[in-house]
Amino acid sequence: MDEDLNDEQQLLLDATARFTEEAYPIARLRACAHDDPGVAAAYRRQAAELGWFGLVVPEAQGGGSASGNGVVDAALVAYRRGRRLQPGPFVGTNVVAAAVAAAGGDEHRNNVLPALVAGEVSASWAYGAAPALPARAGEITATATATASADGHRLSGRATFVEDPGPDGWLLVTATTAEGAAQFLLPVDAAGVEVVALESLDLSRRFVEVRLHHAVAPPASAVGQPGGIDEQLADQLALAAVLTTAETVGAMAFELEMTVQYAKDRIAFGRPIGSFQAIKHLLADTSLNLEMSKALTLAAAACVGEGDPHGRQLASMAKAFVGDCGIELAQGCFQVFGGIGYTWEHDQHLFLRRISTDAAFHGDPAWHRERLCQLAGI
Amino acid sequence: MSDDTIGVEEFRVQARAWLAANLEPWPDPDHIPRGGEDPGPEKVAASRVLQRKLFDAGYAGITYPTQYGGAGLTPAHERVFAEEARPYQLPDFGGAGQVMFTAIGRSLLDHGSPELLARHIPPLLRGDELWCQFYSEPEAGSDLAGIRTTARRDGDTWVINGSKIWSTGAHHADWAMCLARTDWDVPKHRGLTWFVVPTDAPGVTVRPITQIDGTAGFCEAFLDDVVVPATAIIGELNQGWTVTQTMLVYERGAGQSRSQSVEPRVLAPDLVELARRSGRLDDPVARQLVARAHVNDNALYHLGRRLGAVIRSSPTPQPALAAYGKLAIGTLQPIRARIALELGGAGALMWEPDERDDAAGTATSYLNARQASIAAGTNEVQRNGISERVLGLSREPTFDANKPFSEVVRDARHWDHKVG
Repeated sequence: MDEDLNDEQQLLLDATARFTEEAYPIARLRACAHDDPGVAAAYRRQAAELGWFGLVVPEAQGGGSASGNGVVDAALVAYRRGRRLQPGPFVGTNVVAAAVAAAGGDEHRNNVLPALVAGEVSASWAYGAAPALPARAGEITATATATASADGHRLSGRATFVEDPGPDGWLLVTATTAEGAAQFLLPVDAAGVEVVALESLDLSRRFVEVRLHHAVAPPASAVGQPGGIDEQLADQLALAAVLTTAETVGAMAFELEMTVQYAKDRIAFGRPIGSFQAIKHLLADTSLNLEMSKALTLAAAACVGEGDPHGRQLASMAKAFVGDCGIELAQGCFQVFGGIGYTWEHDQHLFLRRISTDAAFHGDPAWHRERLCQLAGI
Repeated sequence: MSDDTIGVEEFRVQARAWLAANLEPWPDPDHIPRGGEDPGPEKVAASRVLQRKLFDAGYAGITYPTQYGGAGLTPAHERVFAEEARPYQLPDFGGAGQVMFTAIGRSLLDHGSPELLARHIPPLLRGDELWCQFYSEPEAGSDLAGIRTTARRDGDTWVINGSKIWSTGAHHADWAMCLARTDWDVPKHRGLTWFVVPTDAPGVTVRPITQIDGTAGFCEAFLDDVVVPATAIIGELNQGWTVTQTMLVYERGAGQSRSQSVEPRVLAPDLVELARRSGRLDDPVARQLVARAHVNDNALYHLGRRLGAVIRSSPTPQPALAAYGKLAIGTLQPIRARIALELGGAGALMWEPDERDDAAGTATSYLNARQASIAAGTNEVQRNGISERVLGLSREPTFDANKPFSEVVRDARHWDHKVG
């Protein structure tokens, strides 16, 4: 997915590819190694040394991109992660880091942001039903509501489909207040915050439900001015969509490579099955969908990274297109593998699970198509 | 390209000024006619004049070498000109225009002798010579190397006999690039040669074909004892397949740039308009359809940009990559046309006779959109190209690639399911 890389990008991506193969090969995923907090912490710190969590944070705040467009760099890293079904809240940590860098309070900018960039902790974004956020697809079951109180806001409600930020992680909670949408950055162990681990279709990452029981959000925890964050939310969603999509494209690319290899190796009727046009044409169509997915995702990443408001539309386009193509690709590849793809021991289902989950994460294709219409003013 | 080449942005400013001073803008910038396959003789004559104007100002053949009358600039300059020129009425040679300035012109540049190029490229860019292709035949489409038109050497000349089909704009063309078999006793790919043929040569008959939508942009052509000199050969004798491959790459690439030369940022305006007229702008199903088409338009555009960059930076032609663009159009255009028909409802399917022009547009596009899935290589041919050349999958067994072509046709009539 990456032609025309500069030297710094090449270094980042080569190191990332090596790291994903060595630190967390699929055998470790199968052993659920990342569920061990010690393993997760070590993984996170090594990833941070490669630069994973500072790409979308300005240099002045301790981050720095490789190419000048940090969203493109982060998308290229996400692509590498997706190829090897890497664990951890990469999308969440980057989205939260960008949000805190842009609009966080001083205390969080000075203390939490450096910890995120250094891989000391992770973060993820928790939102319930809110205007312009993808709740109507059904993955969000309740609203986190905030009421103004003397010591800031009190948050109540429920948000599910949240990446697990780990035992010492942070949550960026988007809530509805009397003033409009607001965001607060809270540690997972704050009073009134309950984090419930979930089992999921995806076996490569962990998701949680966040339950807020009058959790205290002091004024200093606000990320942006309550009631004045609509633009910020739109950018945040675009970033989350692009990075999720880039991970999906990576998973798609690797699954297709496995499948093409299988089509060359598997013999039936006296020939490699990949010599039959029925298989060749299926794989050619799948490969075209992958190429279009790459093109749209990179275009969206570039546009979002440039701060062009059109990036929001392109991000929704990429999310919608790749969501559908990913699921089609997984089905097409399954068809080539035949029966072996239905077994637990074959890796195919791990990709199917991740790709299908990503298709709904931060808005499914239908939601993003509707959003596109709204962004276009119809 | 020399160091004093004009910068892209400076070029944009110049082009903008020149366009404003010299060309007529379209009356309604939001509704620029796409142009049909066949503009008709009057429009072609007017387009020749316009083409001359572009040529004299240095805007014809922007990426063509200067020694043959081009501007010697980069594809980026060409893109900038296309962007700036969008609101203006440009020369319209119908489907023939794209074929002429990409597939034909480029293939000639890659394979023609310097004498042949000096003779033909400047007049082609100037609009003095309109060109078409004689290559598909009634019995050779996807299997292009199976053509049967024959060129026989006769002293210093060649005598061509056969019939051609799907020749875009041949009824307006002055010249044709013609593929003929020059050796029947070798396997099919090794006995082919391209010739330059004047369409008014004795023995050439060109007839328009009435198409699915009732118009005629393609022609069939008959060659009866057409005599051309030895200097009419493009490239090497019996090496025609190499030229063909180059041409197909350009042709597939051209289809790509024709469909999306400007980033489609605005949500599918034509489809939004159809939904509005049908009173379905608030219908979630209709909105999904509009957005789906728009997303596909963007996928196609960004695929084209990405492939274009790779193809341009590659020292050798990348036929398989061009196949991606072609397959994308061939599969997505029919989907888009179906969406339009669905959004248009009854109004897109039937109309009163006097409102025909406007109302019939959706139906006509619906019919024409499937052209891309066949013309210049079917979707299936593209799928073979991608799976073999990019993915590295094996070919299907062949029955005709390794024996003299003269035996191929005979043996096929008694095919026994055995290879060889």
